[in-house]
Amino acid sequence: MRFVLRRLGFFVVTLWAAITLNFFIPRLMPGNPAEAMMARYHGRINPQALHALEIAFGVKAHQSLISEYFDYLGNVFRGRFGISLTFFPDPVMHDVLQALPWTLVLVGVTTVLAFFLGTLIGLVGAWRRGGLMDSAMPPIFVITSAFPYFWIAGIAIWLFSLKLGWLPHGGGYDPIDTPAWTWHFAHDAFVHSILPALTILVTAIGGWILTMRNNTISVLTEDYIRMARAKGLSPQRIMWTYAGRNAILPNLTGFAMSLGFVVAGAILVEYVFNYPGVGYMFLSSVTNEDYALMQGLFLLIVVAVLTAILAADVATAFLDPRTRDVR
Amino acid sequence: MKRGLLVLLLAGITAAAWTAVGSQAGTKHASGGSSVTIANVAGMSWTCNFNPFNSTVQFLAFGPMYEELVFVNALKSGAATPWLASKYTWSNHAKTLTFTIRKGVRWSDGKPLTAADVLFTFQLLKKHKALDLQAVWAVLKSVSKKGSNQVAFTFKSAAAPYFYYVAGQTPIVPKHIWAKIPNPVKYTDKNPVGSGPYTVGNCNPQRIIYSKNSHYWQKGKPKIDTVVYPAYTDNSPANLDLATGQDQWGGQYISNIKTSYTGKSKDNHYWFPPIANVSIFINLKNPILKNVAVRRAMAYAINRPHVAKLGESGYEPAGNQTGIVSPTFKSWENKKLAKQITYNPKKAKQILTKAGFKLKNGVFQTKSGQPLSFTMINISGYDDWIASASIVQDELKAIGIKITTSNISSNAYDDDTFNGHFQLAYDGNEAGGPSPYYEMRQELYSKNSAPIGKQASSNWERYYNKNVDKLIESYAKTTSLAKQHSIVNQLQAAMVRDIPVIPITEGVDFYEYNTKSITGWVNPKNPYAKPSPYEVPDWGVVLTHLRPKG
Repeated sequence: MRFVLRRLGFFVVTLWAAITLNFFIPRLMPGNPAEAMMARYHGRINPQALHALEIAFGVKAHQSLISEYFDYLGNVFRGRFGISLTFFPDPVMHDVLQALPWTLVLVGVTTVLAFFLGTLIGLVGAWRRGGLMDSAMPPIFVITSAFPYFWIAGIAIWLFSLKLGWLPHGGGYDPIDTPAWTWHFAHDAFVHSILPALTILVTAIGGWILTMRNNTISVLTEDYIRMARAKGLSPQRIMWTYAGRNAILPNLTGFAMSLGFVVAGAILVEYVFNYPGVGYMFLSSVTNEDYALMQGLFLLIVVAVLTAILAADVATAFLDPRTRDVR
Repeated sequence: MKRGLLVLLLAGITAAAWTAVGSQAGTKHASGGSSVTIANVAGMSWTCNFNPFNSTVQFLAFGPMYEELVFVNALKSGAATPWLASKYTWSNHAKTLTFTIRKGVRWSDGKPLTAADVLFTFQLLKKHKALDLQAVWAVLKSVSKKGSNQVAFTFKSAAAPYFYYVAGQTPIVPKHIWAKIPNPVKYTDKNPVGSGPYTVGNCNPQRIIYSKNSHYWQKGKPKIDTVVYPAYTDNSPANLDLATGQDQWGGQYISNIKTSYTGKSKDNHYWFPPIANVSIFINLKNPILKNVAVRRAMAYAINRPHVAKLGESGYEPAGNQTGIVSPTFKSWENKKLAKQITYNPKKAKQILTKAGFKLKNGVFQTKSGQPLSFTMINISGYDDWIASASIVQDELKAIGIKITTSNISSNAYDDDTFNGHFQLAYDGNEAGGPSPYYEMRQELYSKNSAPIGKQASSNWERYYNKNVDKLIESYAKTTSLAKQHSIVNQLQAAMVRDIPVIPITEGVDFYEYNTKSITGWVNPKNPYAKPSPYEVPDWGVVLTHLRPKG
C-alpha cells in the first residue's frame, strides 16, 4: 500500500510538471498565432480586422504570461482546452474526441497485437533455440523494423493497392460511405485499416521479439528452471509458467508506455494512409501554432502515458513481490 | 501446441485479410447520376462547417453555395460577369458604386434574394470585423438601399480596385437566416442556405457530398448531379486518385506530371496558369543591400529561365524584373522594360566594380572591407523553391556574392519576414489579384510596410517611395483602362529602376482535369475562371460550366 501511495504522489508531481511544460514549450516556438493567421491571409488583411480576429480566436496577445498560465491551469482542471484555431470555432475536445476512436482502434489493436505476437515468437524462439522459428522469424522482423516506416508503407501501397488492387490505399473508410453503426460500414472501415495495421505490425513487432527472446534466454539458465525440469514438469508448463512469466516482467513497463503512447496516434501512418486520427491533427496543430489544440493533445498523451506507467507499476508490484520490498 | 497456436493466429489474420480483400476488389462509387470528385490536399479533415466568413473553411462554401455580386475573372485582367447583381455603375469619381440586384434569384430554401440581403451582408461585416476577411470596411464609408432593387456603396476615397473585393470576393448571405444568429463569428453553418448551384447533401470528416440546388437561378444548371470533395491530408493518395481517374478535378502539385499523370491516360490534362510572382525579397534597411547597385547586380546575375526549368521542373514560368506575370497579364507588360534586365553575369560584375566594390578571394567587398555575403531564408518543405534558391545561390556566387541559404519552418519564416529580421527571403506568398496592380500594391505600397521589428502585412522588403505611393493611390481613382495601364507602366519602371524585389519565377494555380466523362473544363483557350478547386468563388463558376459528356 505504501508503495502504491508513493507511486501516486510521484504521479501527481510529474503530472503538474508536464502540464506546466505543456504551457510554456509551445510559447517558445518562433511566431505566434496572430502571425500564423496573418500569413493565411497572404497580406490582404488590415490590422484592424486582424485585431478583431485575434479577439474572436481568443488570442490574448497582450495578457501577461503568468496570468495566462493561471487561467490555463484553472481551465485544464475543468476540462476546458479552449477553441481550436485550425478547426475554428470547434472546441478542442470536440475535434479530439472525433479523431480519437480511429486512432485508438487502429494503433491500440496493432500495439496489443504486436506485443502479444512479438512476445510469443520471442518466447517460443528462445525455447527452441536454433529451431525453424528461431532462425527465421527474429531476423526477418528485426530487418523489417529497421526499415523506415514510410518506405514499408509505400511498398505496401504500391504492391497491394496499385499493382494488385486488393486493398484501398488510404482513408479510414470509403468516401461515399457515411459513418454509422452498421455491418456494412464496419466492414468498410476494417478493409481500410488492413494496410495501415499490417505495416505498423511489421515495423513494431521486431523490438518485442528481440527483447522477449533475450529475456527468455537469460531466464532459462536460472536454477529454478533446472529445478522444474528435475521435478519432471511438462515442457509446456515450464515454458509458459516458469520461463515466460518471469521473462515478460521487464517488457511489461515498456508495453504500458507504448499503450500510453497509443493516443499520440501514429503520425507517419496517418499521414501516409490519409487516416482520420489524432496523429495528423497533432502535426497540423503544430504547423498552425494552434496552442489550444496542441496543449489538449499533449496533455492527453501525458496523462495517458503517466496513467499507463502507474498501472504498470502497480501491476508489477502485484506480480513480482521483490519490487514491493524497495524502500 | 505452441507452434500450433502461433500458426493458427497468423492464419487467422491472413484469412481475415484475404476475405476482406476479396470483397474489396473492384469497389466503385455507386451512384446513379453524373458526379465529379475533387483531389485537393487541404491538410485537414472536414469539420462540416460552411460559414463563408470563416477563413479556414471559406473555400468549401463560397462558390458552390454562396455567391458573389459580380464574378471578376483574374485570368482575363478582371473581366466582370454580372452574377447576383445584374448591373453595376461607378459614379462620383470612383467613390460610389451602385449594384442592381438580379430579379428572380432564390435561396436554396425557396425564399427570394433581394437587395435587403445584400445590404444585410455588408452591415454584418461592419458589425463583426472578424468576418470582414477582405477588409472592405477599411475603405467603405456606408452602404444603403436605393429604390427596391439597388444597393449603393460609398467609399471614403476613390476605390476602383476595391471592386474586386466588394463585388467579387464577398459572399452574400440570406438575411432571414443570418439575422437570427447570435454570434456569426463562431457560427458553424452546418446546413447552409445559399444561392449557389449546390447545397450540402451529406458531410462527414472524410468527405463532403454536394447535391444540386433545385432553386438555382441559372436555368438548367448545374448539369453535374453531385460533387464529392474528399478530405486529403497527404499528396500521394490524392495524386494516385487523380492518376487513376477516380478523381477528375485536381488542384495538386504532382512531380513528373508527364509520366505520373498525363502519361496514365489520354483523358488526363493539366494547366498551371501563372498568378503571382515568386521573388527574392531584399531587406532594404540592410546597410549594404540598400545600395541599388548590389540589387541590380543580383538581378543581372540570375538566369531566370534556367531556374524555372531546373528548380521548378518547368511548372512555373520564368519571371521578369517588371513584375508582370505573363502570359496571364501579358497586355500590361512593357516589353522594352521587360527585356532590359536579362541574364548577364559579366554586366553584373561590372556594376559592382563601378560602384566601388573590390573582388577579394572571389567575393566582392565594400570599401570598409565587408564582404557581400548574405543569408537567404526559405520555407523548409517547399522543395521546389528550395531547389530554385540553391540555383540562385550558385549563380550569385559566380559573380562574387556569397549566399548562405537557411531553410526554416513557415512560422519562423513569417516571423522573420513580417518583422523585417532577414537579409534575403525567397518568397511567393503575395495573393495577387485580377490585374498586376494588386500584387504591385502589396509589394510596393508603403502603407503595407512597417518599421523593422513591427509586423508588415505584405511590403516585407520595406520599400518607401513617395512617388510610387502616389501612383498606387491614383490607380484607385480611375476606372479607365487606359489610365490604369499607364500607371502600371510607371510602376514597372520603378521595379526596374529601384529593384525592391527580384521576381524569379511565376507562382501558378495547380489544376488537373479528366475529360473522360465530363466536359466544360477551364483550359488555356477558354480561361473563364481560376481553375483550382479551392479558388473562391471561381470554382463555383467552373461547376456551372461542367457537364456530362455525350
